[in-house]
Amino acid sequence: MTLQLRAINKRFGERQVLHQLDLDVANGECVALLGASGCGKSTALRLIAGLDHPDQGSIRINGAEMVDVPAERRRVGMVFQSYALFPHLNVWDNLELGLRMRGGSAATRDERIRGVLEVLQLSGQARLRPSQLSGGQRQRVALARALLRDPLVYLLDEPMSNLDAQLREDLRPQLRRLMIGGEQPVVYVTHDQQEAMALADRIAVMREGRIEQIGTPRELYLQPASTYVAQFIGRPQMNLLPARDGVITGIRPDDLRLDPAGSPCTILSREWFGANQMLLVRCDRGDLRLVCPGETAIEAEPRISWPGTCEHRFDAVSGRRLPSDRLPSD
Amino acid sequence: MTMLLAAPALLLIAVVFGWPMLRYAWLSFHADSVLTGLEPVANGGANWLRLAADQRFWLDAGQTARFALISVSLELLLALAIALLLHQRWRGRGAVRALTLLPWALPTTMMALGWRWIFNTPYGPIEVLARSLGLGSLDLLSTPSITWLVTVFADVWKTTPFITLILLAGLQSIPEDLYSAFRLEGGTPLQALRRVTLPLLLPYILLSLLFRLAQAFGVFDLVQVLTGGGPAGSTESIALYAYLNGMRFLDFGYSATVMLAGFLLLTAMILAGTLLLKSVGLLRPLDR
Repeated sequence: MTLQLRAINKRFGERQVLHQLDLDVANGECVALLGASGCGKSTALRLIAGLDHPDQGSIRINGAEMVDVPAERRRVGMVFQSYALFPHLNVWDNLELGLRMRGGSAATRDERIRGVLEVLQLSGQARLRPSQLSGGQRQRVALARALLRDPLVYLLDEPMSNLDAQLREDLRPQLRRLMIGGEQPVVYVTHDQQEAMALADRIAVMREGRIEQIGTPRELYLQPASTYVAQFIGRPQMNLLPARDGVITGIRPDDLRLDPAGSPCTILSREWFGANQMLLVRCDRGDLRLVCPGETAIEAEPRISWPGTCEHRFDAVSGRRLPSDRLPSD
Repeated sequence: MTMLLAAPALLLIAVVFGWPMLRYAWLSFHADSVLTGLEPVANGGANWLRLAADQRFWLDAGQTARFALISVSLELLLALAIALLLHQRWRGRGAVRALTLLPWALPTTMMALGWRWIFNTPYGPIEVLARSLGLGSLDLLSTPSITWLVTVFADVWKTTPFITLILLAGLQSIPEDLYSAFRLEGGTPLQALRRVTLPLLLPYILLSLLFRLAQAFGVFDLVQVLTGGGPAGSTESIALYAYLNGMRFLDFGYSATVMLAGFLLLTAMILAGTLLLKSVGLLRPLDR
């Protein structure tokens, strides 16, 4: 384990932002911190970077305690949501600034900057100011700067939130090629579950300063530990049926099926996406989202059912997952 | 359409700025004093020839420039230090920020009167303090080599808060992420000041320089109340000289000439300054 957080507590005034946070990220592993805004995920990242100081706890990189090492000597490569490029410097000078401050010969500097500009297809933009670049180009300059830092750990703080969906899809392979799966552990903060599923080896779903569940995307999808995780992972959202005998039943929209022998319902809305379509239907147990192939013909009053093995069961009070003998994997 | 929408603003500028300027220009080529029965009589370029040879005018121009340059430089340095301090997070910062602004909120006349009493010989507290320390009488307001420094002091006291306010706004416009990124690149706070803060603050520094130079070059009320231009004319400004010509000597033609000449000198100074900054590349961060 090369990045190790132990029992981290952080409070801002009255608000406890992180409670006893533990996290391990191995070499070359990408862990996504996923959660709604205010859940503490960005704070966790700033603590690892050294931009904030934890109230208690330990942060180790390659076994070395980092809590009292100032940010400027921590060797982390961070990409900010705002990109944080210096507006008064052109692309080249933005990249050279750090290299210059950290020493080294001018010749090596030039060679390294030229190399990283080449890799990120920015060679033609070296003399432009950040304000003259597109969003995607700015984001790549920010990546280039993090690469040139020779970091022990990569920290990515919602690096793609300011880009449109198309650009995000284009940049994901680049991220994977350049940063993820190399030598360093990668911590990736996002509120976008799709991005987390696409990039991370493991996802830590955070809520109110605690990790609600951590595991591979597959584990989180198949066995969400709580209704919160269940609703955060997987799109469209898991259906949660109103509690019955203290138990909330959850069914994924793709586990519902149209079945002439099923229970009757009415269609509230229909969204067609080509390969598939989503129906919002009302039945006696509540409103449900249902996903089926795009070519399926839909009757005005369809009947639906779901296999019992696909049910997720949660405690109605705590929201925690209940053990279920019907799920073979449990 | 653009011109149409801008028309009301342009009209206003033309009426309150363009018209008086043209009127001054016209008047500067006329004799208009008690000798002409206060009627304008064209006199060719006589006013301008008189100005060129008027030692008092050129002395005043030098004094005004000295006052403006030195007081604005001091204000800028002080304001930068204060703004950096007020930008840090500390307990009671809000109250101190409000207090800092107070001198600027005071009418110039009131504050100049206050200073006149403080520096008064022999009753002012400074004078009393100096005497009790055995320094003898300082005569701060009646020693030509010192009195102009008192006007600089009073101006710095009053208008430093104005520049502080502009610079503080500038500091707050710099995103916190830039400082974080700079730190992670290995930079110390002192390096951040030089490489991040100052370059990004430059537009605000230049803006306040422009405001303050124009204002200081036209200084009138402070000098009029604090020293009346004395002793021996050592603190007389161009604006005060123009005022004396018009209001005391009732020579409106020459007063207009002095006023206009002051305006032209100021414009020339600002232009020269801009060109200088451009030539050393200081304005480069502004071309976005």
